[in-house]
Amino acid sequence: MSLNDFIKQLDDLVETASTRFEDAINAVDQEILEETRVEYLGAKSGKLKEVQKGLGKVSKEDKPVAGKRFNEVKNRLEELFQSAADVITGGSGKKGKAEALDVTLPGNRPRLGHMHPITQTIDELKDIMGRLGFSAVEGPEIEDDWHNFEALNIPLEHPARDPLDNFYLNVASTGTGGGNQLMRSQTSTVQIRVMENEKPPIRIVSLGRVYRPDEIDATHYAMFHQIEGLLVDTNVTMADLKYVLRLFASSYLGQDVEIRFRPSFFPFTEPSVEVDMRWQDTWLEFGGAGMVDPNVLKAVGYDPDEVTGFAFGLGVERLCMRRHGINDIRYLYDSNTKFLAQF
Amino acid sequence: MLVSWDWLKQYLDLNISEAEVCDRLTLAGLNFDGSSTVDNDRCLDLEVTSNRPDWLGHIGIAREVGVLFDLDLKIPSADISKGSSGGACPKIVQLEDEQFCPRYIARSISGVTIGDSPAWMVNRLRTIGIQTVNNVVDASNYVLMEIGQPLHAFDMNKLQGDTIRVRKAVHDEKFLAIDHREYQLSTDDYVIADNSGVVALAGVMGGKETEVNEMTTDLLIEAAQFAALPVRTTSRRLKLKSDSSYRFERGVDPEMIDWASRRCCELIVETAGGEVCEGHVYAGSEPSGRGSVTLRLAQIPRVLGIDVSETEVRRILERLDNEVTQQNEKAITIIPASWRRDLDREVDLIEEVARIHGYDKIPEHAGVSLSASHQSDLDRVRNKIRMGMLGMGFDETLTRSIVNDVWSKAFQGWSLAEPLTTSMPMVKGEDRLRVSLIPSLLGARRNNEKFSYTDIDLYEIAKVYLPQTKALPDERYMVGITSGRDFFALKGVIEGLVGMLNPNVMISTIPFTDPIFEEGQGAHLTIGGTTLGYLGVVCDKARKAFGLQQPATVAEIDLGALMKLAVLVPQHQDFSTHPAMNRDLNLIVDEDVSWSKLQEISYSAGGELVEVVKFQEIFRDPKKDGPGKKRVLFTVTLQAYDRTLTGEEADTTIAQILAVCDKQTGAKLLA
Repeated sequence: MSLNDFIKQLDDLVETASTRFEDAINAVDQEILEETRVEYLGAKSGKLKEVQKGLGKVSKEDKPVAGKRFNEVKNRLEELFQSAADVITGGSGKKGKAEALDVTLPGNRPRLGHMHPITQTIDELKDIMGRLGFSAVEGPEIEDDWHNFEALNIPLEHPARDPLDNFYLNVASTGTGGGNQLMRSQTSTVQIRVMENEKPPIRIVSLGRVYRPDEIDATHYAMFHQIEGLLVDTNVTMADLKYVLRLFASSYLGQDVEIRFRPSFFPFTEPSVEVDMRWQDTWLEFGGAGMVDPNVLKAVGYDPDEVTGFAFGLGVERLCMRRHGINDIRYLYDSNTKFLAQF
Repeated sequence: MLVSWDWLKQYLDLNISEAEVCDRLTLAGLNFDGSSTVDNDRCLDLEVTSNRPDWLGHIGIAREVGVLFDLDLKIPSADISKGSSGGACPKIVQLEDEQFCPRYIARSISGVTIGDSPAWMVNRLRTIGIQTVNNVVDASNYVLMEIGQPLHAFDMNKLQGDTIRVRKAVHDEKFLAIDHREYQLSTDDYVIADNSGVVALAGVMGGKETEVNEMTTDLLIEAAQFAALPVRTTSRRLKLKSDSSYRFERGVDPEMIDWASRRCCELIVETAGGEVCEGHVYAGSEPSGRGSVTLRLAQIPRVLGIDVSETEVRRILERLDNEVTQQNEKAITIIPASWRRDLDREVDLIEEVARIHGYDKIPEHAGVSLSASHQSDLDRVRNKIRMGMLGMGFDETLTRSIVNDVWSKAFQGWSLAEPLTTSMPMVKGEDRLRVSLIPSLLGARRNNEKFSYTDIDLYEIAKVYLPQTKALPDERYMVGITSGRDFFALKGVIEGLVGMLNPNVMISTIPFTDPIFEEGQGAHLTIGGTTLGYLGVVCDKARKAFGLQQPATVAEIDLGALMKLAVLVPQHQDFSTHPAMNRDLNLIVDEDVSWSKLQEISYSAGGELVEVVKFQEIFRDPKKDGPGKKRVLFTVTLQAYDRTLTGEEADTTIAQILAVCDKQTGAKLLA
């Protein structure tokens, strides 16, 4: 057989095989595909196999060229088959089949956890106060009488000192207030510790857990979180306090907000006020504030004629519950994952 | 404090609406909490702060309204002269502790007729929720609510002997109160006593035996001052709160005690007849005069941030019934009104100016200087942990810091000392400061299991309180974790957290035994010899104790250790940009050869070409490999910094690793 005749047989084979594989694709038919594969690529009686037998009849000097050509055609046919198979089994084409991709099936969603809404509230408050220049600080939760009371101008006879209103530790008593160490009842203790160790200017927010014996119900819990701001410097006034709280309110609630001071009483501030913020036509009670009492400044070694300061405190749970529409404080503490997954 | 609108009108010409009065009072510090209609009167609920006991009476409220609206106050004169008779009070009063009772006034009334009170008195008392009893008791309640001074009427003829004593109770002394219950007293309690014993708990409650009833004809009227702390202590211990004890706890005006005594007698004579003995008993000392307080006018803008004129300051202070004794352009000096025990310092006067002038006058655009705040390392590390736990599918929770005795001992990896206890339980039975978060988190698991929830993966960042001898406890932040995932899943979580903070540290794992962990499934984690934390599978016994149905794995990591290892500003390291080469090794080793041993050998024997040695799996086939053997499959990644490795180089390195593994552990490569 001449070389040209052999090559012509191969070329004819490619042409007809291409047509057949194309038919299989158009029909999206696995059976046609398989028939075509067997017909052309079958190991025993496929057409490619038949043509290969003619290789022996080519003259010796033409064998290398003929062999190379044969291999090229073989690879080509295999490629045609594979691409047709990919198309058909991939499910594309005009007719839907049982193995077609159902795009409505759900994705493989990775499991994500959640941050506690109290943490989210605290983070937002720290972020706002940070932009106003207040650094977040923490301190011990177990305190002594002096830091928790005396330094805050709360004398022994004040009702807040009552042993039934505090979690005193059962350790050797020093004879005052039923015990010397207790779980702190406010985060103002941190402010005292900062002021004891640093000179003005002081610009901090103290935060963390506080503890007060209380019957636990929908709105009360014996352990809760506070955040308290403190600014001590020369020339600090109540106008500064109002300004800072105004900026806070605008950040937290939006620009359409009003602030109101109502006179109140706290032993550690004088003058003392309750802070209300008017938002969506309702006055919301935010917390207490005022000018740091001169007795407190003296207790930490500052001269009230040299420096003044303001302080304010917010209950985190109250803000969190209002913001997120939580109607029972106990949800915040009973670890229900269905609840936690909502935030 | 409940206030009758009709009652207020007795002291003021009120032509102002209730709404306006309540708004102004709120902005002056008397918070309006609501109102209601009682018959033809209006009842206002006003919240009184603890430093203003003078507001615990209608005259005090009327004074405030008078100041705010510039109205004149008309106070009854409490004139008892027309109803009095000659003669001394038949009783003597002895004060055995003038620290507790600095003054005690007693008056006697003879010939009263006990009956109903007049309608005007009944109606006012009803408005503020006080039930009528009889014309004598009602009169004492009326004056209590009028001026804030508690009073008590004794049936004179029931008092034995001629002496009334204010003294401490004897230990275990018995007292029968007007509520018909008997109380056992302690030496901390103060009592009013006659010759027969206790006739009243001082400042708290009267006695049954000397109670006024319809047969009473002669009275002894008590008006006194009692110290706050003992009254409160007795009141709370015996659970006997009363309108009287509430007022003694906050303080009464020592200069109005006599007025209250006369006012009470005046009302009794008016409603019950009888005659007041002209002589009365005044035991104790006269109130000391108030010291003067000076306000430097420059302090007002210094504290408030606004200017208030000298004229306005004086007007405000005088309107509040303070006596101005001196004034110049720099300062004003006053003697505070007797009922204002809260005014004794300059800053108190500044507050009075502010609240009457109006806090709304203080601007909210003053401007505060800029300051650069900083975020603490503690916050940075916690934020990273929270992001990591969120990404790994854990929900953050908060649990109580104070737990019960059983929980406080359930895991003692951090401390074997007896936990600290509190004087008050947070919840019944819970009075221990926890030394581990693990029991609290297992309690949280149980809460979720009972709702049939699956996928309970919780963590908390909170403090534990580790007792120390003769020192405050060591408060440490822990990261507590509980999960339904298995031991190695949770170990991976911890490795992930640590890797986030510092990719270069290596965690060492040592087997750890604790009663809460399944035998052989507990681990102590360390980094460079320092404890990082503990990890383990909860054993069956502990699961039953916590009421858990499903398997649970727990861990606790010391946040302080994480802070020490954290690299908060990660640094770039140069790395090879040449392709790496991977080789899988499947070794047969003895069961007791640990993975970390093989890994260690691979790194050291392979030298600098070894990039990563990564565990794949362990497979056991006793039939083929014999008992006590296991197959360990792992991948060694090889890479050179400056060139692409050849196959021969890779093969040589792998051969070195295999040789040392064989020599040190007897590991054989599977064909």
